[in-house]
Amino acid sequence: MLQQFERTIDALEAKLAAPQGNTPRRRYALEFARLGKRLYDGRHPVAWCGVVAPFDLLNAMGFTSCFVEFVGASLASSGVVDTFLDRAEQDGLVPDMCAYHRAVAGAAALGMMPVPQVLVATSCPCFAGQATMENLARLMERELIFLHVPLEQTPEAVRYLVDQLESMITQITALTGRRLDPDKLARTIERSNRAVAVIEEVFELAAHIPSPSASRELKDFGIAMPLLFGRPEAIELAQVFRDAFAGRIRSGGGNGVTKERVRLLWIQNRIQFREPLVKMLEQELGAVVVVDELNHVTWDPIDPQNPLEGIARRMISNPFNGPIESRISKLQALARRYRVDGAINPCNWGCRQGAGARGLMQTGLAEIGVPVLNLEVDCVDPRSFAEGQLRTRLEAFVEMLEAKSSPWS
Amino acid sequence: MYFLGIDIGSLSCDTVIIDQTSGIVASAVVPTGARNVKAIERSKADAMSLAGLIDEDIAALVSTGYGRRRVAGRSAAVTEISCHARGILHLLPETRLLIDIGGQDSKAIVFDGEGNVANFSMNDKCAAGTGRFLEAMARALEVDIIELAQLDRGARGELTLSSMCTVFAESEVVSLIADGAEVKEIVAGLNRSVANRVQSMVKRIAPDLSCLPVAMSGGVAYNEGVVRSLQTQLDVEIAIPEKPDIVGALGAALVARERALGQGEKRRPTE
Ligand code: SF4
Repeated sequence: MLQQFERTIDALEAKLAAPQGNTPRRRYALEFARLGKRLYDGRHPVAWCGVVAPFDLLNAMGFTSCFVEFVGASLASSGVVDTFLDRAEQDGLVPDMCAYHRAVAGAAALGMMPVPQVLVATSCPCFAGQATMENLARLMERELIFLHVPLEQTPEAVRYLVDQLESMITQITALTGRRLDPDKLARTIERSNRAVAVIEEVFELAAHIPSPSASRELKDFGIAMPLLFGRPEAIELAQVFRDAFAGRIRSGGGNGVTKERVRLLWIQNRIQFREPLVKMLEQELGAVVVVDELNHVTWDPIDPQNPLEGIARRMISNPFNGPIESRISKLQALARRYRVDGAINPCNWGCRQGAGARGLMQTGLAEIGVPVLNLEVDCVDPRSFAEGQLRTRLEAFVEMLEAKSSPWS
Repeated sequence: MYFLGIDIGSLSCDTVIIDQTSGIVASAVVPTGARNVKAIERSKADAMSLAGLIDEDIAALVSTGYGRRRVAGRSAAVTEISCHARGILHLLPETRLLIDIGGQDSKAIVFDGEGNVANFSMNDKCAAGTGRFLEAMARALEVDIIELAQLDRGARGELTLSSMCTVFAESEVVSLIADGAEVKEIVAGLNRSVANRVQSMVKRIAPDLSCLPVAMSGGVAYNEGVVRSLQTQLDVEIAIPEKPDIVGALGAALVARERALGQGEKRRPTE
């Protein structure tokens, strides 16, 4: 993995230095390859976490922290995930479990995950993640810290999570000797807030008609950016996107890839391995993914003097947390803000979050005139990818959207 | 001026030629076999010779079906979802929901009176509930696929196949025969299993069928047993066009005509 990240960094630095090579997506890929390198080079204390862990807080304690699903996504995007999925199956994991976690389990079993100083599981977005973390803790002989994210934003629920965050900090100090300096945390949180403010600007620009964002430009952005929160790179990277998008709008609009005919909302996960369909949608049919469900700032700026409460609120506000009505109203808000014509739910194989409530999400979006195409895709395992069948569904969906009047006209 | 539609599916390749008034001039259905480019050529040549036309007579050609991008000389490739909706509406104008069971796909499509698709669902990743499933079962029963369509007559309908998977169902059929089960009962069980799979796909997009006249297309529409079983399970009358296997190709020809004559323009771009 380390060599893979180093090779990627070298290749991206060379491309970024070339004339016209400085694209936002390359900068993004570079920052995350650098994060991968920090995780794997053995020189940084590592915290493997659940998706909604407080990465800025962990950064302030000196950890390079990351959610484990990042490993599954990285293995899939670099085209080598099969070996790890096979290993997970040999070890007894059922093949219809979410492949993000199967890939992580396989990587851990094959010694491809560095042993961390700390493991912090979160109950959100899914209990499959929690089980994966428990397995890692056993395999790596590390204590597991668990954050139970309550389902609603009541004062009691926030207090409950704040208490857990406080004991997490105490536990980490006891386990590693690392202490949390309140001033350092305040400065980290200020940087987090600044990054989020710029990210909001990026989203505001992406909502423009036609969108300056190409379908794959903000792929995974909302879920991955928190890994950099509190670090200056988060602000710089968001600024690169903001400036590029603003420039495109100033020079006549559009994303420079296609003439936008249909605007799409992508629900939950993107497909992580190389596949031709999103490009086909965009370039052949002018159907652009202008927003992803997780490209959504669902929390208020955090008070640097009282950070734990704001962090707790941020964790609870994750769209996958709590009753489905709250997820649906967030999806409706995004559909309205971005004026999308339709939505695609890949219903990632084995994911209860993506597939379990698909009918309810479909009905919720249909209420505001936005049709949803439900697919059945394994977003990490390319071996069951039925390209022809998926192509037909996607093309037919776009034909259907084009024949119908816009929900916003 | 004539317009040509080709529907290249996994089991058959169908061609329809229409004239300026959308009247069907000729149609041809040939098995796809292993080489779909050959099947396309043959199906097109058969229809052209039946109509007595040469290439220059064709103003536009639209292809559809899973091999739609392999059709040379096409003006456009349009999905089978849109084409089937257009085709059935031309043949049976009352229809608002079409069930199409083809070789490897089964689909349900809801549309308006103009043929604009409002919703659709398709089988995923698996041949249960498709023509391939029935083909495999006919093989297991050592009967012809045409014969299979009649074999459930007089069945009491008490036998249920427990497996939906084509491979497992095939071995289940073999052991049922070995156990002395009556062929008509096995076939009725198979029909119910296909219908069951398809009806849940239909209900997913149309929970209430009371205002949606239903029709069926695709080769499996020739199978009376499956149609009967579907009618029972959905509790509706299902209309079948005279040639259910050319509906997709007809829709493609109609789209070709419409586009060539500058009708049916797509909605304006969002910008
Ligand atoms: S895809 Fe679903 S199961 Fe997999 S990590 Fe995400 S929420 Fe959990």
